[in-house]
Amino acid sequence: MPTLLEMQIAMRASLLHRDSQTVSAMLAANVPEDRLDIYRNTFVRTLTKALRLCFPATERLVGGEFFEGAAQIFIGAHPPRAAWLDQYGGELPDFLRSFPPAISIPYLGDVAALEWTVSGALHAEDAAPLDVAALGAIGAKDQARIRFVAHPSIQLLRLNYPADVIWHAVLDADQAALRSVDLGTGPIDILVERRSTGVEVERLDEQAWSFLAKLCAGASIETALDNAGDLDCAAALAEHLALGRFAAFELAAPMTTVDVGPETSE
Amino acid sequence: MPPPNISVADPIPAKAGIGLRFQHHQAVLDTNPDVAWMEVHTENYMGGGTPLRYLDVIRRNTPIALHGVGLSLGSAEGIDPAHLERIRKVAERIEPGLMSEHIAWNVVGGTYLADLLPLPMTEEALEVVCSHVDQTQSYLKRRILVENPSTYLSFGNSIIPEWEFMAAVASRTGCGILCDVNNICVSAHNHGWDASAYIAALPTEAVGEIHLAGHSIKTLADGSVLRIDDHGSLVGDEVWELYRQAIARFGAVPTLIEWDNEVPPLEVLLQEARYASGLIDRSGEDFGHADAA
Repeated sequence: MPTLLEMQIAMRASLLHRDSQTVSAMLAANVPEDRLDIYRNTFVRTLTKALRLCFPATERLVGGEFFEGAAQIFIGAHPPRAAWLDQYGGELPDFLRSFPPAISIPYLGDVAALEWTVSGALHAEDAAPLDVAALGAIGAKDQARIRFVAHPSIQLLRLNYPADVIWHAVLDADQAALRSVDLGTGPIDILVERRSTGVEVERLDEQAWSFLAKLCAGASIETALDNAGDLDCAAALAEHLALGRFAAFELAAPMTTVDVGPETSE
Repeated sequence: MPPPNISVADPIPAKAGIGLRFQHHQAVLDTNPDVAWMEVHTENYMGGGTPLRYLDVIRRNTPIALHGVGLSLGSAEGIDPAHLERIRKVAERIEPGLMSEHIAWNVVGGTYLADLLPLPMTEEALEVVCSHVDQTQSYLKRRILVENPSTYLSFGNSIIPEWEFMAAVASRTGCGILCDVNNICVSAHNHGWDASAYIAALPTEAVGEIHLAGHSIKTLADGSVLRIDDHGSLVGDEVWELYRQAIARFGAVPTLIEWDNEVPPLEVLLQEARYASGLIDRSGEDFGHADAA
């Protein structure tokens, strides 16, 4: 008699890999094997729908049928790891970048990466913006040691293709804009955030992006100011604070060594 | 530090309510419909953002129940503590009148299988489910309800009738039963059970909520006919008849109209809820007659 775990492992093989041999032998004698198809169809349909909701522009770029076929292969290779489908699909951009049938659309993975980031901002935890008055109470000599905690919806993304322009054009069904996209303009730096009015996708210049990326990774102001070039950091910081891009702050230990957040690199 | 208790903002009344879906968020805010309560899928309100903002407002006027689909009470490998914590966080914010989950499983090998999958009706499965209901109730510091499943297949090692399995979970853990009358109808057809006998076998005092929904009828390639629990149509006559039997037995119980596929305008759900309300009101009269006889 199979254990519960053996049955569940066998059912997983049937749903994910269409390998129903083991679980079929565990069914009651009068149950036709094709009843397993009902569960498999629901599984694939539910996850395909979740991917469609998260990647609408990606789907339009390849067409519904292609998307469905790619989703089926993707689901088998990268099934969800948690019962939280808003968080499902993070591996799809890289999957599409190396998916041979999609090779003729080199920017597809970047558009999917942007959509994944937008979805992340949409569903990120709520957090109140930090109390600017509390920040003002920090004495001038300690201000350099301030380290921020980014608002959970802030996402910073660097892409090789102008995925933001393509994304807008596809969702607006703007064929003229789509035809005029220049794929050779080089890498772009993107900030995605959720404001009270909705999710915003903004392009930043490289220095502004790097400065914000360092701050969001927990670098002290002092550290973030290094290599900021000719960026007007005071103005940039004022904008970040005004738009609620930080949820909290703390003071780094007085500087003896350079303390750089884990995500920052040159 | 232990997490704070989840408070109850408004208890769920023993009246008819509707399942709230995203499609109806704005219509509910705009029209403030006259409905006794609403239920949402817990998993759709995890994290933050717009859905929770709607629910924050809607719950000021309407008692809310949380109905989970992803805890996988029947997982042999245990339930995901991170998922349990996500449920707790939603509950802390929404202060639900009732919380429920399913007698089903969907997680194995760290993979979420995105459906409510059937359990073998064995003593092992019963023990697994009971220990996870215990774990959930002590983590949430709340009684939960567990819903009977709709199923399309059964296992060779099943030895416990499903209604006995449901009753045993309730008596061993102290949890309540969410009696899904549509699921009973679907499973009874698919497995050749007597749906009325199923309802008659459930422990009256444990039933804390009833679900009603539509299902479809599908003929398979081999000519066999299967009932599919797709929540995509009006509640059928057969289910209404079983519902009459259920409330005659359980009394007035919070009753939910569920609709998940091809969701119609809000008004259609409200009409269904009004019909259920009428049956609840008349069931009281029937009790009166029975007592007098």
